[in-house]
Amino acid sequence: MENQNTPKTVLIAEGLRKSFGLKGNAQQVLQGIDLRVIEGEFVGIMGPSGSGKTTLLNTLATIDRPTEGQVSIKGNEISKMRDSQLSNIRREHLGFIFQEYNLLDPLTVKENILLPVSLTKISKHQAETEFNAIAEILDIKELANKYPSEISGGQKQRTSAARALIHSPSIVFADEPTGALDSKAAANLLKNLHEINQARQVTIVMVTHDPLASSYCSRVVFLKDGRIFSELYRGEKTRESFFKEILDMQAVLGGGD
Amino acid sequence: MNTRKLVIRSMRKNIKMYYLYFFAMIFSISLYFIFSTLQNDQTIVQMVKTSTNFSTAFQVAGILLIFITVVFTIYATSIFIRRRSQEIGLYQLIGLSKAWVARVLILEYTILGLGALLIGMLVGALLSRLFLILFMNLIDIEVMVGLTFSSQAVIQTITVFTCLIVVTSLQIIWTVYRSSLLQLFQANNRTDYFVKRPSIVSGILGLAGLSLIGFGYYVSTLIIDNADALMFLMLFVLASTILGTYLVFHTTISWILYIFRKKQNGHLGLYNSLSVAPLMHRMKDHANSLTIITVLSAMTITMISLSYSLYYSTENDVRLAMPFDFAVENMEEEAAIISSRLEEEQIKFNHYELDAIRFDGAWVEQDPSADRRQRTFMLFSAEQMAHAGLDVESPQDGEAIYHNTRAIIEGMEISYPKYVEFPSNDEVNRLTVSNFKLENVMNYRFYGSQLLVSGETFERMRDRIQESEDKEILTFEVFQLLDDEKSETASGIFLTNVDSDLYITDFYTAYQDSLQTNGLLIFIAGLLGFVFILSTGSILYFKQMTEAEQEKTYYLTLRQLGFRVNDIMKGIIRKQLFVYLIPLGIGLIHAAFALNVGSVLIAASMLTPIFISMAVYIVIYLMFTFVTIRYYKSIVTKAL
Repeated sequence: MENQNTPKTVLIAEGLRKSFGLKGNAQQVLQGIDLRVIEGEFVGIMGPSGSGKTTLLNTLATIDRPTEGQVSIKGNEISKMRDSQLSNIRREHLGFIFQEYNLLDPLTVKENILLPVSLTKISKHQAETEFNAIAEILDIKELANKYPSEISGGQKQRTSAARALIHSPSIVFADEPTGALDSKAAANLLKNLHEINQARQVTIVMVTHDPLASSYCSRVVFLKDGRIFSELYRGEKTRESFFKEILDMQAVLGGGD
Repeated sequence: MNTRKLVIRSMRKNIKMYYLYFFAMIFSISLYFIFSTLQNDQTIVQMVKTSTNFSTAFQVAGILLIFITVVFTIYATSIFIRRRSQEIGLYQLIGLSKAWVARVLILEYTILGLGALLIGMLVGALLSRLFLILFMNLIDIEVMVGLTFSSQAVIQTITVFTCLIVVTSLQIIWTVYRSSLLQLFQANNRTDYFVKRPSIVSGILGLAGLSLIGFGYYVSTLIIDNADALMFLMLFVLASTILGTYLVFHTTISWILYIFRKKQNGHLGLYNSLSVAPLMHRMKDHANSLTIITVLSAMTITMISLSYSLYYSTENDVRLAMPFDFAVENMEEEAAIISSRLEEEQIKFNHYELDAIRFDGAWVEQDPSADRRQRTFMLFSAEQMAHAGLDVESPQDGEAIYHNTRAIIEGMEISYPKYVEFPSNDEVNRLTVSNFKLENVMNYRFYGSQLLVSGETFERMRDRIQESEDKEILTFEVFQLLDDEKSETASGIFLTNVDSDLYITDFYTAYQDSLQTNGLLIFIAGLLGFVFILSTGSILYFKQMTEAEQEKTYYLTLRQLGFRVNDIMKGIIRKQLFVYLIPLGIGLIHAAFALNVGSVLIAASMLTPIFISMAVYIVIYLMFTFVTIRYYKSIVTKAL
């Protein structure tokens, strides 16, 4: 279907359904979602609580399996893969940023960041270069030998971002990355992500409930009751006007959160 | 919902966590019950009466057993209470009083304890017969034992159990009343201990730990030669090695890991991230328990190896001390009666006459400043000994070999040649003793240090030694039985025909006595060792279980990052090998040095029994490692 001129598709989801609970009493969280993410996009997923944002992210990120429907990442159809194959996909193609940072406390910042390359063929020298480059952008080079308990929330989240990027993944999934940060640290992180997205053409899919956060995205997908309600593209708009648009859409959706 | 229902419900909910604790309790109770049943068994009571060794051994073992059970219970309870601290906090959060929480917990643990007591005694009652048979087998006594249910044992067990409940209750009250809500909620996820970095002081302390152990080892090799300062040296060695061990766990290991880690410069890799990094941080917290485990392991291995060696070499050792089945000195009549009585009973035997000279002389060392030691000596001829069937090496003409199974204990194993000076008829008044042998040429209890010379020298010495009251020409009559099956009858014949005032004993009787003492020793050591290894293993296992739960979130993160269960397990196995093998390794080395000292007690080689004991210990110990790894695997698999 694609010709050479259209940008490459990184992720396709078709007819995604996910229900929790036992049969008969099952609760449908995702009720048929189609989504396509192309290379270099910075996609925000928004929606009120319970709209299925995080479930969608987990399903796309191979952490959870859909009840129905298909997900393919870089042409790999993942719905039918075995757990070990999924692990490989995650390790090679995906990066993760979590709300609670999920750093390993016994490891230093640098050790945490270099963890994803540890079982790969990437050489030590190459890993070191990559670490320096990313740590430079995220301004955490000075912290390399500190432990997570010694640094601030914003620094932890930037460490987490560096860990998600170190192995040059096809997609980075971020689940409420600014959720636990103060506004300044949040703005700082988002600027970094935006820069990295622009400069390195890294594809990012971010779940957030914060309109300010999603104003950094190139596209925002709104979920409601397990379905895609609407989408907004930033295009050539300024961040401020895009932010307003998102706020308006949220008003339509009902409920700020 | 009333309190009773709540207790039952919470116990049912906690059953998975409890069953280990429950099992550990049942186990220690049944072992204690078995022990006290045996202690009160008629057959054993009879034996104990005859020997003070037996009764002290039983008492010491009983105290040790209670001690280890209490320590183990305190440890296990504290681990399990900590794991429930969130629950304790929750009760208080919804407004229940501390007194109520403490009461409910104590009730729970008492119900659990009573269950364990009942099952433990039942299991103990069933198994004690087996243990008694095993014991009787060990000491080679054939008595058909109808073990009666001992009410004394029941009372003893209940007393110990009551102590345990009291200790546990105090612990619960302490935890509930002393901890704030915040502490209770955070007890399971402390992360603040990761910050500290080793400084130069750690390096110095780390080296000090190693040096203390090394120094302790060095001093331990000196003990044998300085038997007069035995007590002092032993205490010194113990203090030095235990302190050293503590420092090694507290500082040295984390320091070495830190250096290793620093060299990696951030490129730690998954496997080391799961082993080296957490170990480096946790070592300090675990220093106490790892030291206890190491010392207990070393103690257990030493105790088992020594007692097993004693038991294993009983026949050998007795034979070395008593080369002949029977021997009498200058008792022709008795010897003739014994011969004829043995013939009547159709017991085949060989009978020899051996000449000997007893004389008073003195040990003279090469070093002229050393003290001369006056002794009475017995001189035997090597030809005659060989004729009587002893496998002896004949000394060179004019020289003697000193035969004594206790030479090392008596400090007589060094600086040969020595000389024996004697009152002489001519100018030659010295006999050169070229070497010593750890075996007797004549049964012990005959008075005099045994010297073996060649036949010619023997004849010359007979004339040379000045006649006096102290010089006696002796004739020993010795018997070697050819029929092992009738040893007991023969032994009876021998003992009834020699004057019991002379305290002469025969090989068979000495062997049986030794076997009983050593059998009791290995039995008690085995029982204690079993309890020790199971408690140390369980403590390590419980600790690792808690750690696994605390690290659950890490495994979740790692799996989200795309590491497979098998990859993560490789790192975890590496960590477990560290956690289990370091105490085991250090314990084994400690034990080896302790055994080196202990080997003085036994004339025969101890290598085989030591290797067997160590192998058994390692196998049982590694089973705990295996179970721990399995537990981790289930945690990692369920993490995602």
